[in-house]
Amino acid sequence: MIISRKRDFQELLENIKNYKSFFLIGCSECASLCSTGSEKEVKELSETLRAEGKEVTGGIVAKTGCQVLGTKKDLKPYKDEVNNAECILVMSCGAGTQTAVDLFEDKPVYATNDSLFLGNMTRFQVFDERCSMCGKCILDRTGGICPITTCPKGLLNGPCGGMKDGHCEVSPDIPCAWVRIYERMKKLGKLEELSGSVLDAKDWSTAQSPRALSAREKKGK
Amino acid sequence: MSFREVLESGKFVVTAEVGPPKGTDISEMVHHIELLKGKVEALNFTDNQSAVMRMNSLAGCAIAVEHGVEPILQMTCRDRNRIGLQSDLLGAYALGVKNVLCMTGDHVSAGDHKGAKSVYDVESVQLLRIVDSLNNGKDMAGNELKGGTDFFQGGVVTPEANPLEPQLMKFEKKIKAGAGFFQTQAVYDIAKFGEFMKYARKFPVKVLAGLVVLKSAGMANFLNNYVPGIKVPQELIDELKAAGKGKGLDKGIEICARHIKQLRDEGICDGVHIMAIGMEDRVPEIMERAGISD
Repeated sequence: MIISRKRDFQELLENIKNYKSFFLIGCSECASLCSTGSEKEVKELSETLRAEGKEVTGGIVAKTGCQVLGTKKDLKPYKDEVNNAECILVMSCGAGTQTAVDLFEDKPVYATNDSLFLGNMTRFQVFDERCSMCGKCILDRTGGICPITTCPKGLLNGPCGGMKDGHCEVSPDIPCAWVRIYERMKKLGKLEELSGSVLDAKDWSTAQSPRALSAREKKGK
Repeated sequence: MSFREVLESGKFVVTAEVGPPKGTDISEMVHHIELLKGKVEALNFTDNQSAVMRMNSLAGCAIAVEHGVEPILQMTCRDRNRIGLQSDLLGAYALGVKNVLCMTGDHVSAGDHKGAKSVYDVESVQLLRIVDSLNNGKDMAGNELKGGTDFFQGGVVTPEANPLEPQLMKFEKKIKAGAGFFQTQAVYDIAKFGEFMKYARKFPVKVLAGLVVLKSAGMANFLNNYVPGIKVPQELIDELKAAGKGKGLDKGIEICARHIKQLRDEGICDGVHIMAIGMEDRVPEIMERAGISD
């Protein structure tokens, strides 16, 4: 999921200082799991804004904030509340924020969260980055552990000299991705596969932004 | 004879390291080049070591060439993508640089520009392959070069890495990718290093043991606690302590010279790489005390 974190409230207040009334849009997917955009946070932010003397005309938790047409449908019953707000606050990830930008051409839209990374929730409210969405998966070559993401240098052929006791030079809290990969492949009896070949320089063209995809099946003529 | 030829002749080789200045004043660097001229076979020029921004290693190498000293261009993958690396390699060759040490590079978080964007478009193993390709007259994309290179390319290995096996896997990959020589991370336990060399001797590569001069017991403890891949044995720490206050560096120099002598006399490896880190002035003395003076 997309991991998000609430922005500093004073920073948010500074961003929206010129506006008085707001409509809030949370998201029931990732942002809810990150506690940055569920029903609870939408309610809390409404109360906090009111305490700051702002008006909140209403709020919803979109089912999937990054889905433009679905969110448009979710917002339909709230036409008046949205119209009465000078400004839209989006409580999801950057994609959700830009859904609102698509839907509200004539209203300012502000993000209440910073989008951090694509990650896994390993324990309640604890998230790790696992995938960089580089566009060409190499997990089948590295025992299912992604070194592009979990090694700060994204190394493809083994640990660097900065590894210390199985941990990373960047932080002792980071386990060395290559020690993990090595140990896993050893356990699986697949070391030959790992050490046998040099992985070539990655083709980064698959990670060139902005990326787009149409997964629709082309209709035959 | 070139560094490569001397190594291949089987003579015990000494290289040392010079860090280019943080700024444009090259007087100290030139002083060290002149001081070590004729004493070492080649001089490494570090590439923004510890991710601290300095003059580039290529300029240092070019200045060494001007002064008649053979340089080893240290090249990390932290700051340049594949286009920048290849372009600099071509430029280095045109300026008379014949040796390249391919490294991944310390992470920017260690340095003085912590907000920098790390590159690591390629890494050390792939960089070795790139050099091999340039040596064969083609860039890494397969395009013909108008004049290729003839670099002697090497890599780094950490014999004290813990765990060691993944490090050895990478060592072997570097050899597959074309490394002809290795300069190791600092080693202090010569017997243990000898074990590593027994393994390394199975491969057709030359290995220079990395040596960092100890200045005090405190420094040794610091290396053990904070620097990855370095292990100073307790006996050496005790020896430094016993030397007494203010005598640490002299003892460190004595230890370094003793290690060089042992490595050479016992034929453990093919040479040494002395990383004096601020003590470049003492390198000639270390070599003299090790019995190397030609």
